[in-house]
Amino acid sequence: MHKIILIIKREYLTRVRKKSFLVMTFLGPLLFVGLTFGAMYLTMSDHNEYDVLISDPAGIISFRDQASGKIFSRYPERFKDGNQIRYFFTREVLEPDSFKTSPYNLLLELDDQTINDGNCNFFFKKLPGEMVTENIRAEVEESLERTRVTDKLALDYSLYKRAKLNVNLKEINIEKLGQEDKTQAKAMVGFAFAVLIYMFIFLYGVQVMRGVIEEKTNRIIEVIISSVKPFQLMMGKVIGIGMVGLTQFLMWVILSLVVGGFAFQFLQSDVTSGAAVIQNAQLAQQGVDTVDAADLSKNEIFSFILSINWPLMIGLFIFYFIGGYLLYGSIFAAIGAAVDNETDTQQFMLPVTIPLGLSYIVSAVLISNPESPVGLFFSIFPLTSPITMMVKVAIGAQWWFVLLSMLVLIAAFLFFIWMAGKIYRVGILMYGKKASFKELWKWLRYKY
Amino acid sequence: MNFFLEARNIRKTYARHEALRNVSIAVPPQSVFGLLGPNGAGKTSLIRIINQITAPDEGEVLFEGHHIKPEDVARIGYLPEERGLYKKMKVGEQCMYLAQLKGLSAADAKTKLKMWFNRFEISAWWDKKIEDLSKGMAQKVQFITTVLHEPQLLILDEPFSGFDPINAEMIREEMLRLKNEGATIILSTHDMGSVEELCDNIALINRAEVILNGSVKDIRNSFRTKTYRLEYEGLAMELGNALWANFELISNTHNGSHHVAEIQLKGDRKLNDLLGAIIPSVNLVSVNEIIPGMEEIFIQAVTQFDAQHA
Repeated sequence: MHKIILIIKREYLTRVRKKSFLVMTFLGPLLFVGLTFGAMYLTMSDHNEYDVLISDPAGIISFRDQASGKIFSRYPERFKDGNQIRYFFTREVLEPDSFKTSPYNLLLELDDQTINDGNCNFFFKKLPGEMVTENIRAEVEESLERTRVTDKLALDYSLYKRAKLNVNLKEINIEKLGQEDKTQAKAMVGFAFAVLIYMFIFLYGVQVMRGVIEEKTNRIIEVIISSVKPFQLMMGKVIGIGMVGLTQFLMWVILSLVVGGFAFQFLQSDVTSGAAVIQNAQLAQQGVDTVDAADLSKNEIFSFILSINWPLMIGLFIFYFIGGYLLYGSIFAAIGAAVDNETDTQQFMLPVTIPLGLSYIVSAVLISNPESPVGLFFSIFPLTSPITMMVKVAIGAQWWFVLLSMLVLIAAFLFFIWMAGKIYRVGILMYGKKASFKELWKWLRYKY
Repeated sequence: MNFFLEARNIRKTYARHEALRNVSIAVPPQSVFGLLGPNGAGKTSLIRIINQITAPDEGEVLFEGHHIKPEDVARIGYLPEERGLYKKMKVGEQCMYLAQLKGLSAADAKTKLKMWFNRFEISAWWDKKIEDLSKGMAQKVQFITTVLHEPQLLILDEPFSGFDPINAEMIREEMLRLKNEGATIILSTHDMGSVEELCDNIALINRAEVILNGSVKDIRNSFRTKTYRLEYEGLAMELGNALWANFELISNTHNGSHHVAEIQLKGDRKLNDLLGAIIPSVNLVSVNEIIPGMEEIFIQAVTQFDAQHA
């Protein structure tokens, strides 16, 4: 036992002290947060200023001020000039060339059919960000709706607004009355855990394999196993590298929370206020009491977060994380022992990558189709359960089903560790022989 | 006689290949035991069994009279032929790690390492990485890791490979010093010069069997062919004429100042008979018995065995 701790310590320390570990630990979350928020920032917020010319020859949403002869929005609360977007109206139809040379950035063309079909051409010199486009679209939609209600239907717009209702389907499982069902959102949370386990198994499983190959090619293996049992060496390596992975993920979680917190603070004003503006405007029009829409969505997120059984999810995450890693880690160790160099690993990698890849796909399928029977099988089958079961549990599974899956996984990793141990033991002292599956089968039956 | 290590009737089969067949060796305490044999004869298989890396199909290994136990590995120092170190690890750290795997405490390992590093004059390497050392330097470090835990049994497989003659001599001296301090050494090598110089006993393994076994002195004696080397002045023809049917002139050469002849006695002739026969004809300068070297014995024993079992 003392020796296995020494091995774990060496495997752990040599890796944690590497520069690449430090770099990955600090750059990982920066990259992750940077990529997600960066992409969000780029698509959602666009700080350019836009002068939008609205060509409305039919005068659907604009009117001519008799005194000045200028054209304005028909509804004063619509098309208000902001910091970013300024609106201008014209009754003329512009030739493409005259827009090109004009000072306006965007041109919105309403024709005589727009009032009926809602279609209008939106010309741009440079495509604006999604937020800007959405703002403009909402303004046009509101204005058109108002014109249709008052001009075509001859109704009072405020009365119409009051009659209008947004419909929201609340999914409720008959077995769980009194709760709104958020299966898909919950499945997404489970999927996030599943992706973590998937990544972890791949990243660190391959490290185990490399470590074994390194010991073989360095020829230190025989020196070591004259002091310790091959099984101790294998398990020490698997556990040590697993702990490196846990350390790295822990650091990532902490760093991501810190960095993500800052990034969120920075973006919040831009993103949520943008959404709130639109929603607020709609709510105000509906004659509903003005509620802070941002607060509303925050509350919803909050209650959703509370609706997830975190202790169960995290507990199972740790269980499947460790169980799955031990199972695959020992397989990777056996693969490393069976070959002389990394290029020979291809043929043995296939049986590993297929179940892992399939479990990932099935997990993704479960999000949109939670009751899929394939999901049931994949949640029990030990080569896929560590990943798929996370989604299944998030959706909701019977306790006996979870227990069965866990027991199968425990039995499987004990079996795989035993089997990998046998292959490892023969393989580490075998040089220059290109192993085949037939060969490995023979090794399994060697007496030691 | 009490043996420090005994292997009795070891049999080991891999798949269809028989690696060891009824192999027995007995190593007396505080001696150097040569384990010889052509490549692939089964030496490494036997060494791995002694190190408990693998187990025999049949037979037993006795360590100081008891059945060898897993804990005994702490008392064995093994330098495999296929050896190496972690390239990216620092020398000192690596030695500490290997010493602790052999059961030394960290403090103990450190004191002993300092002592060995001083003796080998390599203290400056402590913080260097193995990959920055030359092959010979790495071999020195490897030797230290093998002997550091003061094993009572040392198993050295080709310990001199990779060393220049000066360092090889240093290792030879260390081996003898360790033996004098009480260690028992099993030496596997193809360098027959060091076998003659260092070994007290040998076992020659060929095709999974022990074909020759005993003390180096006895074996060499048993391979004597009653052949003598004579240096003399005079005429080669005179010598030839003086020899009769009971002596065979194997060769006669001239080394510049003297003739050198190799003569084998036939039947139960004695050296005195030979001298009596030739003294009247030539002036003898020196007479030496030719005792076959281990190299010749090795080749002779192996080719003979192979011819019989072909």
